[in-house]
Amino acid sequence: MATTVNAANASSRPHHTLWGDAWVRLRRNKLAMAGGIFIIILALAAIFAPLITPYGFARQDLTAILQNPSSKHWLGTDGLGRDVFARLLYGARTSLAVGIFTQVIVLGIGLPIGAIAGYAGGRVDNVLMRFVDVMYSFPDILLIILIKAILGGGIYQLFFAIGLVAWVDIARLVRGQMMSVKSRDFVAAARAMGGMGPYITERHLLPNSLGPIIVSVTFNVPRAIFTEAALSFIGIGVRPPTPSWGSMISDGYAVIFASWYQVFFPALAIALLMIAFTFLGDGLRDALDPKLRH
Amino acid sequence: MAPLLEVRNLKTYFYTQDGVVKAVDGVSYDVNRGETIALVGESGCGKTVSALSILRLVAEPAGKIVSGEMLFDGIDLLKLSKDDMRKMRGAKISIIFQEPLTSLNPVLTIGRQISEGLEFHKNMSVQEGMEEATRLLKMVGIPHPERRVYDFPHQFSGGMRQRAMIAIAIACQPQLIIADEPTTVVDVTIQAQLLELIRNITKELNTSLILITHNLGIVARYAQRVFVMYAGNIVEHGKALDVYHSPCHPYTAGLLGSVPRLDEPRKARLQPIEGQPPDLIALPAGCSFQARCAYSVPQCLKEKPVLTEIAPNHYAACWVSQKGLREWQKQ
Repeated sequence: MATTVNAANASSRPHHTLWGDAWVRLRRNKLAMAGGIFIIILALAAIFAPLITPYGFARQDLTAILQNPSSKHWLGTDGLGRDVFARLLYGARTSLAVGIFTQVIVLGIGLPIGAIAGYAGGRVDNVLMRFVDVMYSFPDILLIILIKAILGGGIYQLFFAIGLVAWVDIARLVRGQMMSVKSRDFVAAARAMGGMGPYITERHLLPNSLGPIIVSVTFNVPRAIFTEAALSFIGIGVRPPTPSWGSMISDGYAVIFASWYQVFFPALAIALLMIAFTFLGDGLRDALDPKLRH
Repeated sequence: MAPLLEVRNLKTYFYTQDGVVKAVDGVSYDVNRGETIALVGESGCGKTVSALSILRLVAEPAGKIVSGEMLFDGIDLLKLSKDDMRKMRGAKISIIFQEPLTSLNPVLTIGRQISEGLEFHKNMSVQEGMEEATRLLKMVGIPHPERRVYDFPHQFSGGMRQRAMIAIAIACQPQLIIADEPTTVVDVTIQAQLLELIRNITKELNTSLILITHNLGIVARYAQRVFVMYAGNIVEHGKALDVYHSPCHPYTAGLLGSVPRLDEPRKARLQPIEGQPPDLIALPAGCSFQARCAYSVPQCLKEKPVLTEIAPNHYAACWVSQKGLREWQKQ
């Protein structure tokens, strides 16, 4: 009767779903949680920016240019008398939007292409992956500049330009995941039960590949933000007066010896956001790693 | 009445870099309705491939069913379209795999995986499927099925996972179940429980069963007829008890000698079959078992033996046996 006793004990244990388990492990990781909380606070601050600062991001006060940080202007003002703190908050909108929307585009293109290539294999896989290889062989920044030149200025065009370049990584990752999951026994078992291609892809292959995909997206967000900052720094990112951390650094760079804080605060903001996403990504990778499941 | 499944001269080859692996090379067998047959043999002798061939799930493009006929209920499975074949899998013919852990999807609940086939073939909604899954889990002897149906595979023990696999296989009440070494990964006590369970369920549902195993000892109890495979061929077949008590092929005798038997006085040592199965790429000209056979005669080197009726309804492909020199039985 030992088996029934054991079984009864086993079923009285709390139920853990796979995602529930991952969440428990993620919560234990202090750095990852700090990163996640920082991102959430920054997102809220960006959304509710008008409630936090009385200054608009484009309002010029020519009587107060290049002021040092003070109680009136917390982080000082720039060469046109615009409040740096306000511009940082509104600039966070740009950065976070770039980070998130480019990943939506990246997933929208990369996920289906990678999934099709990985599941179908053979000739389909060959054609799709050679296309990915061609995309891969262009230097990223050059290709973005090129696409941006064709699409024109504006922030949406920027999303597209970055997204159209960055999807190749996800496509490769998804394909690799698909191929490794495809060879596992439960896929054969699902086929033995009469499952068909699209169903197996959606219900068996994708859920089992999701962990690495989520992690990769988390690491790609700061890359996209960084790309936007770099583009804005060289003057082809978002259009002024829309603030962007990259363009703020570019503006402040000219007066770095007169008022260092104009470079320092946006640079600090970029650095903190990068670190936050990296910590979160690391935490997610550990939390979603099936080998650490216990 | 015609048998439920009739496999005729099935050949499944694998085309590899080193040459053609003749994993199944001209195999014929049949399964009657409600009958259990056993496919027995060492690892790598073609048992699993011949079973996967029935479902047409041999890994392509390397593997290919080269020729043969597989009449299931009068329909040749090899002539079905891909879509019609898909409708067979799970609904009419299902399989219990060897490794229950890897054969279950780690991110889906047990219930969802049982209801999968019901959703495909019986147009059940997810909720109806889950209710049916609960009933099936109860049927295969899982305690608290109403809670367990929401568990994930890693929360089940090895034996319970295999029970869940059985529940998946019987979900759509197929006419034929293939059990591919269903008890290799569990210990002996669970093994007996699982085999009893499979036997009771097939009896209850009047399902035919192909039991694939390397343990001839369990065959006599659970199967009516036995087909012994060696190097891609059937070398002996007959009623389970006949094969068990008077094997007509030295390979079968060797298999029997290598497992402990409780119904005979204990020998000092189990007798292994010396040597390795032959390379399936380059099979010898004569009998493929000749190199390992202690009883071979010169003819074994030259000519490949064919299945011949040695005793009533008891066939063997062995020159020695045909000459009536079955010395292994005198031991």
